Amino acid sequence: MGGIWIFADTRGQTLELLNVGHRLAADRKLNLSAFLLNDPDGAGDCISRGADEVLLLPALADDQSLEAFLPVLVEEAKKSDPDMFLFAATARGKELAARVAVHLETGLCSSCTALTYDPERKAVVMERLAHGGAAVQKVVCRTRPVMATIPPGAFEPAEAVEGRSGRTRELPAPPPSRLKVLERKIKAREAQDIGEARVVVSVGRGFEKKEDLAMARELAAALGGEIGCTRPLSEEMHWLPEEACIGLSGAQVKPDLYMGVGVSGQIQHVTGIRNARVICAVNKDENAPIFSVADFGIVGDLYDVVPKLIQKLKQM
Amino acid sequence: MNFKLTEEQELIRKNMREFASKHVDPIAAEIDENSRHPAELFQKLAEGDWMGMPIPAEYGGAGADYLTHIVAVEELSRSCASTGFTVSIHVGIASMLILLFGNEDQKKKYLIPLAKGQNLGAFVLTEPGAGTDVMAATSTAVLDGNDYVINGTKTFTSNGPTGGTYLVFAWTDKAAGRKGMSAFIVPREAPGMRVGEHFKKMGLRSSQTSEMIFKDCRIPRENILGQAGAGMAMAMAGFDHGRVGIAAQSVGILQAALDESIRYSKERVQFGAPIARQQAISWMIANMATDLAAARWLTYHAAWLKDQKQPFSKEASMAKLFAAEAAMRHTVKAVQIQGGYGYIKGAKVERLLRDAKITEIYEGTSEAQRMVISGNVLR
Amino acid sequence: MPTIIACFKWVVDEAYIRKGSSGDLVFSTVDFKISEYDRNAVEEAVRLKEAHGGKVVALTVGPPGATKGVKDALSRGCDEAIFVADTSFENLEPSQTAEILAAVIRSRVPDFDLIICGEGSGDLYAQQVGARLAEHLAIPCISFVQKLGVAGVSLTAERKVERYTEITSALLPSLVTVLPEINVPRIPGVKDTLTASRKPAATVRKEELPPVGEPRLQTIGIAAARMDRTCEKFGADEAELARFADALRKKGVIR
Repeated sequence: MGGIWIFADTRGQTLELLNVGHRLAADRKLNLSAFLLNDPDGAGDCISRGADEVLLLPALADDQSLEAFLPVLVEEAKKSDPDMFLFAATARGKELAARVAVHLETGLCSSCTALTYDPERKAVVMERLAHGGAAVQKVVCRTRPVMATIPPGAFEPAEAVEGRSGRTRELPAPPPSRLKVLERKIKAREAQDIGEARVVVSVGRGFEKKEDLAMARELAAALGGEIGCTRPLSEEMHWLPEEACIGLSGAQVKPDLYMGVGVSGQIQHVTGIRNARVICAVNKDENAPIFSVADFGIVGDLYDVVPKLIQKLKQM
Repeated sequence: MNFKLTEEQELIRKNMREFASKHVDPIAAEIDENSRHPAELFQKLAEGDWMGMPIPAEYGGAGADYLTHIVAVEELSRSCASTGFTVSIHVGIASMLILLFGNEDQKKKYLIPLAKGQNLGAFVLTEPGAGTDVMAATSTAVLDGNDYVINGTKTFTSNGPTGGTYLVFAWTDKAAGRKGMSAFIVPREAPGMRVGEHFKKMGLRSSQTSEMIFKDCRIPRENILGQAGAGMAMAMAGFDHGRVGIAAQSVGILQAALDESIRYSKERVQFGAPIARQQAISWMIANMATDLAAARWLTYHAAWLKDQKQPFSKEASMAKLFAAEAAMRHTVKAVQIQGGYGYIKGAKVERLLRDAKITEIYEGTSEAQRMVISGNVLR
Repeated sequence: MPTIIACFKWVVDEAYIRKGSSGDLVFSTVDFKISEYDRNAVEEAVRLKEAHGGKVVALTVGPPGATKGVKDALSRGCDEAIFVADTSFENLEPSQTAEILAAVIRSRVPDFDLIICGEGSGDLYAQQVGARLAEHLAIPCISFVQKLGVAGVSLTAERKVERYTEITSALLPSLVTVLPEINVPRIPGVKDTLTASRKPAATVRKEELPPVGEPRLQTIGIAAARMDRTCEKFGADEAELARFADALRKKGVIR
């Protein structure tokens, strides 16, 4: 029995969890099991990327939400007693993980960005952000199974390896849950997924009116990138859709180039850009916090600098 | 001795800070630049019970103690000295005078709307020829049948253009000297009162200041406040309360100057290091922080004495004198710390310096305060 | 007439945390506040009460110094408060907090209709307590709610899931965790704050409840988050911008 278990909403996230799960399993010579939702064709992919076992969950009725699987997950875990149970830190994943943890009477480390087995402690050391992004916390769990939620995008998908084998097991459908889903409204994707963009130009309160964002869009286009923003611009002023919001409760981006234009650099936003390869900023206030986290900072009025930059980029 | 604010006072300060960040900070520079009275802001202040804090609930106020009101004025002034001042005049002088000296009918008719923030109160004493020398005033109020008729010119009336309820001081019996001046409640609609010249000021520009011209201004005789001839005594009581308010306003300005100085000196790098590491700068900040603490405790003590129903004229004057001079002294330094950047429109310290100057002048000049204090101490 | 429980945590206000010179965090001059998202929970509970009648019970667990937080919650429109206080409650972990909340609710407010929690606390942001609490009380749980409606014995919640919005319904009693976009919390007026201490507020001692489980997680370190960047500055004139573009080219992020 035992093993490392992973659960994610989508196959893409499962492959990311397989990456960290595989390393942890190998370190301690444990089996790696992955749940898949209504995706029997994905089993082979998961196995080639490190899963020893794929647990196939059936499709749910339309009016059922993901949390209907809770009793199935709990029962399987109680039967098999895994060492670790990792969940993708999506909205539904986080909720499910917490509820599973209650039934398994164990702790749960939320939004872990790093997990490493420490042979001296004989425990997995988990890292996460606390205090609104101002601090890094290191945690170990004393109970079994060790549970953690992992943000999508924190790890690259596991690499496929030829010739790996594993087994699949079909799990039964759960009884209907007490929640009824009445409707699902797909959000019209107004913005490209900035989580995947190679270049991100982020706009902040330095912009005086919505129409001025056109300048930022031109700059993004010239750089080959997408537009993102700080929270006030999407949540308060509604100049951009919520998918464009970068930060603690928004998107985490890891582009090659991040450029913050008229962005002051509050910690809640900066938390979302830490993994960018090169960080640049344009701000007229030389004391703006963004400059202390930027590789290259231009001190100047964006209304003067951005058009000049666009010109320069077009010439190159 | 308990130097702690109560939990309620701490929560109220926090709420005012949040209110100021949300509603005052975004417009403070604009209302200063355009000399604009932000009516919509005062509407919001009224909704939060901020316009009548120390007035008892039965008269429309929040029933807080005076110290709580002072803490709120300080916190509000930290964002905008003009707004803090307007609230202070409205509550601390106009409303308080009616509370202290008005009869039941006057309190119901005039105090309740003031406490609810439905109109602004004004204190109308100063004249072109009578500033520190209050006795040199020439405005008169003559009883004519069932009315008093007021004639005269008043100047530097804060909330003059925007007021709704004016407390006007005029001679009813010049021969009686100090016991010959009376006070009157004059509503805006009273015939014969009009707003005169509107002043463009160096600082505190959002606060509206003007002359008030009284030409056969008629008000019902029951609008006399308190006893005939008690005007001077009431004005002094008004000043005691108002001065603690101005002290609080100055403390707010000082706190803002300190916030700005700390922020700037930590971020501005010259000679390879933040300028906060230079002793010239760090000593300026040390002095600022020390005077701020002193000003704050003098102010809170004066307010506390009033809440204990003890005499507080001397302490109010001391707090106002010290806090105002400290605000002036240190806003000059705050601009110095920011160098060229502090001299440019848009820099907060530029506005703080212009706002600070008036605190040494109104509600009794620093010279007048010294007269009060020495008069008290040398008795 | 529903009884709504609003759970809140009294946390360090992160604006006051300073970084020490060696990368540690300095908490000596901190102030406290009701955690941001819990303010939304309290606000939503009070709005529902204002629309449907009933009462709002504010509930919190923490060290005894959090009495100010209780007054804060009461000043926001809650009708009464229950405060589970103990000096050992300084650094509870989510599993413990949820157990304590469940125990208090079972013994003091067993006939509740709805529990509203914030999506996560402002300090640790573990986002677990709400879901765990629902499981302990064996009631339906809807998390990350941006819009909430109650009609009779059922609730309808608009839930923000990654790719879409899920409109879900459940029968009361239920628990929801709310997102900050659900409402804008009021700033309490002066009268609200002054009358807060007159509302009923009960303190429950640790001894009056079943014993709290041991912590399952152990923090072995906490340090200021670091971001080490080049921090090179450029001016805004043509020559400087050319230098900037060059720097980007050297890094390989533009052609």
